Amino acid sequence: MHSFMRFALAAVVCAIAFPALAADKPVLNVYTYDSFAAEWGPGPALKAGFEKTCGCTVEFTTAEDAISTLRKVQLEGTSTKADVVVGLDTATSGDARATGLFAPHGLTLEGLSLPWSDADFVPFDYGYFAYVYNKQKTPNPPKSFEELIALPPSFKIVIEDPRSSTPGLGNVLWVQAAYGHRAPEIWKGLKPHILTMTRGWSEAYGLFLDGQADMVLSYTTSPAYHAIAENDDKYAYAPFTEGFVPQVEVAGLLKSAAEAELGKAFLAFLVTPEAQKVIPTTNWMYPVIDIGADLPAAFGTPPEKVLEIDETTLAANGRAWVDAALAALE
Amino acid sequence: MLLSPRLNSLTLPYRPLRLIAGAGIALAIAGLVVLVLLAILATAAGEPSQGSRVDVWHLVWMTTSQAGLSTILSLIAGVALAWALNRLRFPGRDLIVGLFASAIVTPGLVVAFGLLAVWGRSGWVNQAALALTGQSLEVPLFGLGGILAAHVILDGTFAARILLSRLDAIPEKRLKTGQSLALGPWQRFSVIDWPMLQPSLPGLAAIIFLLAFTSFPVVLLIGGGPANQTLEVAIYAAVRLDFDLRGAVTLALVQIGICSVIILAASACAPVSASTGTSAAPRWRDRGVARAAQWLILAVGVLGFALPLLAILFDGIGPGIVDVTSRPSFWKALATSLGLGTGSALLTLALALGIGMGRAATGSPLLRIGIGAPAYAYLAVPAVVLSLGAFLLVRNAGLMPEAAAPVVVLVANALLSLPFALATLAPPLDAIAERRGRLIRSLGLTGWQQFRAVEWPLIGREAGVVLALAFCFSLGDLGVIALFGTEDFATLPFVMYRALGAYRTNDAATIAALMLCISLAAFVLLPRLFGRLTDASS
Repeated sequence: MHSFMRFALAAVVCAIAFPALAADKPVLNVYTYDSFAAEWGPGPALKAGFEKTCGCTVEFTTAEDAISTLRKVQLEGTSTKADVVVGLDTATSGDARATGLFAPHGLTLEGLSLPWSDADFVPFDYGYFAYVYNKQKTPNPPKSFEELIALPPSFKIVIEDPRSSTPGLGNVLWVQAAYGHRAPEIWKGLKPHILTMTRGWSEAYGLFLDGQADMVLSYTTSPAYHAIAENDDKYAYAPFTEGFVPQVEVAGLLKSAAEAELGKAFLAFLVTPEAQKVIPTTNWMYPVIDIGADLPAAFGTPPEKVLEIDETTLAANGRAWVDAALAALE
Repeated sequence: MLLSPRLNSLTLPYRPLRLIAGAGIALAIAGLVVLVLLAILATAAGEPSQGSRVDVWHLVWMTTSQAGLSTILSLIAGVALAWALNRLRFPGRDLIVGLFASAIVTPGLVVAFGLLAVWGRSGWVNQAALALTGQSLEVPLFGLGGILAAHVILDGTFAARILLSRLDAIPEKRLKTGQSLALGPWQRFSVIDWPMLQPSLPGLAAIIFLLAFTSFPVVLLIGGGPANQTLEVAIYAAVRLDFDLRGAVTLALVQIGICSVIILAASACAPVSASTGTSAAPRWRDRGVARAAQWLILAVGVLGFALPLLAILFDGIGPGIVDVTSRPSFWKALATSLGLGTGSALLTLALALGIGMGRAATGSPLLRIGIGAPAYAYLAVPAVVLSLGAFLLVRNAGLMPEAAAPVVVLVANALLSLPFALATLAPPLDAIAERRGRLIRSLGLTGWQQFRAVEWPLIGREAGVVLALAFCFSLGDLGVIALFGTEDFATLPFVMYRALGAYRTNDAATIAALMLCISLAAFVLLPRLFGRLTDASS
């Protein structure tokens, strides 16, 4: 039992000692998902960049993923210590808005490379859900959901569960946006090709890299990771002619923020060229402003045909779409 | 046998303190579960439940049948493997036994990937088949078959390890008698082995059922789609996607209810006589068909169970190690994991001894169930509900979640290991109470003397197994503090998942291999160490 007590004691001591060290400067509390704040994520560079000018200390508090971050804020309510939440996305921002916990950002966002009119949330990067394949193993990838369905059943894809994963949910929205009432029919057609439906992106992508499946539901930016970080350009995304559904990652300020001004400044910092240059090769998403040559060529150009689903329609129907897709697969 | 008073209370030494300690631990655990659920309900108060989006009974049926099959197959595999391993001696036997023990503490996802590395589309078997015959061998790995295979690897090997230690504990005297009576292989199994194995089976069955019932990432990874799912998935969706806390608690109660039936049934099965002893088995080989069967079982076991684990080592040990081990974050996570592991291993042993001795100190079936059953609680409560409840409890208590995180993880990991620890320790403790109770009474030993002079020497090796098991389990599942916001508090499994979530598959493979090495070392070394310690003192 001694080491147990020592451990508990150490934990308490740490908790008391660390905040005291930073007490001379105001602290901006940022809630975000784990891989954002990880050592190779954008967190460390953004923290350093913002701290140069803000006269403050940025502290990240992480949760497993974006949705957990929101749930954490919801559970804590107005007593949350968070000033800013970073990493919500198009599929969860409606939920977040409905909690009434977020304040308008009050920024005039100009020069963004995507159309933006949201008064509450500031976009900081984006990508498109896409099926990624290995060019050497699949020289002729399907160019639409219907072409995919027409392939022999031995052509396998891995997708994520829409109930537990953002890309999984994005996939449901994608089929819905592209095919409307025909969506269940598309899902039925996909069924023989679905090797499995994993809990999260990590497992699905792992299966794909392991060679268990021919394509995986990921992002249009995934091939850029392999090209840049691993110097390996054999991966590409399948150019589906239906168009692509974007995932825009956003940040928001909480009404209850103790450091509202700092929070607002941080949101503004997120869309500066300095911060945006960090994003592509740390979070592996497109920047929201034109950063010119600082965007590595491997990212290519984002797809042109974009499918949009507005927040109200999503809020009203999202659950039913997910249930219909699952029912068609069962 | 069910619920019948198995022990003559006159033969049991009078140990009120042990009873109180055992009952106290049991009450504390049950209380914790109730508090967790109440904390969530209190937060959900005022918010209407959106109604369940799932056909609960369909899910319950699917989950129950999958878990039932997993349990039966795992037990059969476990008994067969333990039987073969008990009889056979060969170079590398310790490594195989260590690998088997390590399976259950290895994260399920890692084992599933190991399975795929051997049997999957670009796995070893398929590549060998392609090279030899030019035909690819399509092993239908995804679907119910794959789920069962993964569960049998995880749980069947664990059963084998526990059952093997029971067989290894058969007293020499009994083996010599059997040998002199020239018992055939079957008679030997049914007369000598089975009475040793049988008391462990209900507890093992309950654990395996609960693990399979609540298995989540594995089921989703190789389940092949929504047709194969568990109740946990629905609960997960209710909490995260719908934020329907009341719905989540309702589903959790359904799960806890079903699991409780299993737990109570297992706790009610009173172990019959078993005995303990050291593992110095005399050489008594079975001959003929039985011997061939043992080698065959071993071969199948190694191919089916050890290969996927070896694949994990094989995939992970490479040049990537330099890169991974050059990062300070790795060493920090390693230190955290080792600290957590040590702490919760000791806590687990203390709790298991408390419960096991409390249970063994009474002949009343009801009391025995009451003390034993809550030990399984952690396995019955959905992980996402636990993490939510723990977060709310800590906040309601006015503590900073970040500061409380290490303690919460320590307690959670100890509770996670507790059923396994109890399955290992309870049968020998019961056996001692029954067989040596009269002697202990007649000698007038105090409780401490009883522990020191009688129990410890007989259970020392098992205590080593328990410590190894709990240590490895506790290298750090952080699911319970998913909401705590602890960027700096990382353990090895956590760093592994983090790498997997950031395209760094190779890093993840390396960390998985290193974790498996640590588990192997713990399983090979700790039981030996304790075996030696107790041999020296007895």
